[in-house]
Amino acid sequence: MGLMESVPKVLDPIPGGKRLSDAVEYVVNWARSRSIWPLTFGTSCCAIEMMAASMARYDISRFGSEVFRASPRQADLFIVAGTIVDKMAEPLVRLYEQIPGPKWVIAMGSCTVSGGPFYYDNYSVVKGVDRLIPVDVFVPGCPPRPEALLKGLVELQELIRKSHPLRSPEHGRLAADAPVEDRWTKAKQAWEELERIKDEQMAEARAKFAAEHPDYRPPKPARKEKPAFPETPRAARPAPGLPFDEVVAAVRGRFPGLALFGAAPSEAEPDRVPAFEVPCDALAETALWLKEGPLAMDYPVFLTAVDRLDRFELVVRAMNSSTAQQVELRVPVEKRFAEGAAYDPAAKNQKYDAVAPSLCGVWPGMGWHERETWDLMGIRFEGNPDLRRIFLKDDFPGHPLRKDFDMPERVVPRPA
Amino acid sequence: MTETFRQKGTLPPGFLVPVRDGETDEFFVNLGPQHPATHGALRLVVRLDGETVREVVPHMGYIHRGIEYQAERCSALQSILFSDRFDYLTAHMNNHCVCMAIERALGIGVPERGEYVRVIVDELTRVSSHLIFLGSFGTDLGGTTCFLYAFKMREAITQVFDELCGARLTMNFYRPGGSSADVPESFEGSVRNAVKTVREGMKEWNDFLTGNVIFQERTRGVGILSAERAIALGCSGPVLRGSGVEFDVRRKNPYGIYDRFDFDVPVGSVGDVWDRYMVRVEEIEQSLRIVEQALASFPAGPWRSKERVSWRLPEGSWYAEAETAKGTLGVFLEGTGKSDRPWRIKVRSPSFSNLMALDEMCRGGKVADVVACLGSIDPVIPEVDR
Repeated sequence: MGLMESVPKVLDPIPGGKRLSDAVEYVVNWARSRSIWPLTFGTSCCAIEMMAASMARYDISRFGSEVFRASPRQADLFIVAGTIVDKMAEPLVRLYEQIPGPKWVIAMGSCTVSGGPFYYDNYSVVKGVDRLIPVDVFVPGCPPRPEALLKGLVELQELIRKSHPLRSPEHGRLAADAPVEDRWTKAKQAWEELERIKDEQMAEARAKFAAEHPDYRPPKPARKEKPAFPETPRAARPAPGLPFDEVVAAVRGRFPGLALFGAAPSEAEPDRVPAFEVPCDALAETALWLKEGPLAMDYPVFLTAVDRLDRFELVVRAMNSSTAQQVELRVPVEKRFAEGAAYDPAAKNQKYDAVAPSLCGVWPGMGWHERETWDLMGIRFEGNPDLRRIFLKDDFPGHPLRKDFDMPERVVPRPA
Repeated sequence: MTETFRQKGTLPPGFLVPVRDGETDEFFVNLGPQHPATHGALRLVVRLDGETVREVVPHMGYIHRGIEYQAERCSALQSILFSDRFDYLTAHMNNHCVCMAIERALGIGVPERGEYVRVIVDELTRVSSHLIFLGSFGTDLGGTTCFLYAFKMREAITQVFDELCGARLTMNFYRPGGSSADVPESFEGSVRNAVKTVREGMKEWNDFLTGNVIFQERTRGVGILSAERAIALGCSGPVLRGSGVEFDVRRKNPYGIYDRFDFDVPVGSVGDVWDRYMVRVEEIEQSLRIVEQALASFPAGPWRSKERVSWRLPEGSWYAEAETAKGTLGVFLEGTGKSDRPWRIKVRSPSFSNLMALDEMCRGGKVADVVACLGSIDPVIPEVDR
């Protein structure tokens, strides 16, 4: 039993006490709505607009909310600024539970409202933060402008002023206790109702106008002249460093018979970088020579893989940090199926293993790239000292960038 | 915790330095995923021996949005929209890089005016991103007012972008072959105003923060990263240049028309937090120089090349890279020749590789310096996770 709840119990029996407790409620609401302290919480783009709203130009302190607290224990308002993904869901709910009541939530930005641009074809984004915690005000936009956030804050103040903390306490409101309601359907119905009213009124006005001005013809809109754009060919200079042929000659001098991958530089694309097709077991040796040989490719640019359905293909790019000369390696990695199984183009979530040698020893900077490739593609790198999942939860089923990955319970396909 | 891992003989995931014998008393401290100094949703587990850092293990994925998966299911043009959202502070440059990859695939060129618009807008984006770095870095080190000064300057640049494309953050302005629209009439005036505001603001800034003795004491000699390690880990941008490596894609492999402008590539000498900070401060001035040069010879004419009817990607793969404010951003694009959807898009994000150097910088330092080191990398976590 909090202090607020005991006020009406004491005052109401006294003659005229109800009006007194109403006055107390008014003062409490007035004070609360004008000193909402938000929690410093931002995961992505919206956080920058939230910061901009608290800076001199937009000045959130006009509304008494400039005191951004780093700890949830000192905050009243949870502005969920930025996309919430599966892995962040648990910390988010914990943060909400750590805020002492009364507490309010503003869902800022399309991602937190509904998943926004990441609603369709996405395996990790939570489709609306109201699936995790109760939300008081939704601010749409991608990202919303600071003015929109301020408008959301004013709406919240209005909401607080209309609340009845003495009669219906909101203390200790937890996510688990909050009633589940389908806000989306409600909002859709309300919107459809508004549209219907608008259409009716418009039809009425049109009929009235037509009756009053029977000879009216609308003027023809002036056609805006479409500018003609020139056909411009792509202008590029050759890639920096040694000429293409010299690099190929140098590599073939050490590894004769190494096949070139892709096209040689052409007139349309003079900046093509030499790419070599390297067998999986020769990768470590080739990489070491590239780094320590005459080409001195000391800089790891990136490592990734492409799913070619029946096999994987590693893409490794290295660079010489003083001349910016780059070389690409393409390494086929076979998909190893269990005994008796084989690749099936129609099957989803197939079980197979793929192994490649790690390049950590040559370029330490490839370590995280290998972890990423393991996480998203499921290629194991033998020799990587720290091969864990890097982005997804440890219990995530499968590897999402494999072409046979399928997760109908979470991925909503984009309607055609 | 100490007892547990000693008894088990195993360390928490990610820690590789073996347990030392003797009387040391090691323990672990968690920073994040919600922590004002981690610039978003990043979790750091710091292994401490007293107050000395032995190892830092970053845990990522708290903002992994699966952009690469989603981009494979959209047309290559639509992936420009996603590029706004990996590093939202340098949205224009990300758009530029994706457009360059598509232009390379389809052989599209950009007219003169389009290239100039790209240079001016890119450089203003770099300044705006560095201003956010200055503000947040000052705040990380305890000076809350820094943010106010930095945002005051940044708003002048945001004004330019607002007039340009109606957005303040996620721009989606460039298209393969140019941009979605011509610059407005007010463009040159607003750019000149932004340059003037930032120049004047930086004078004030250097007086109150760069010249501040407490700030210098806090950053000099802290978080040293050697040039060899910076190269071996694949760091780029101000982190690499702060360590004394003169590498800038705009200079080494100039894209667009960057070879026409006169600018310096600032480099550090020690590789500490102070050097990385000073490289960015100097880069702001260099970017303003480029903007002024580009404005002086800003040509009239068409701002984009002829629009394509079909955006089908041919078979093959293309890689384009650009120098963003954080470092070298690369976009690897692979087409099948059958549709406009890429078979694979991979983004080589600079913050991802730069963050790898955090452990290296923090080892042997004090726990309070972890925040300074992380701030000096200036990571944008959605770009790390994508």
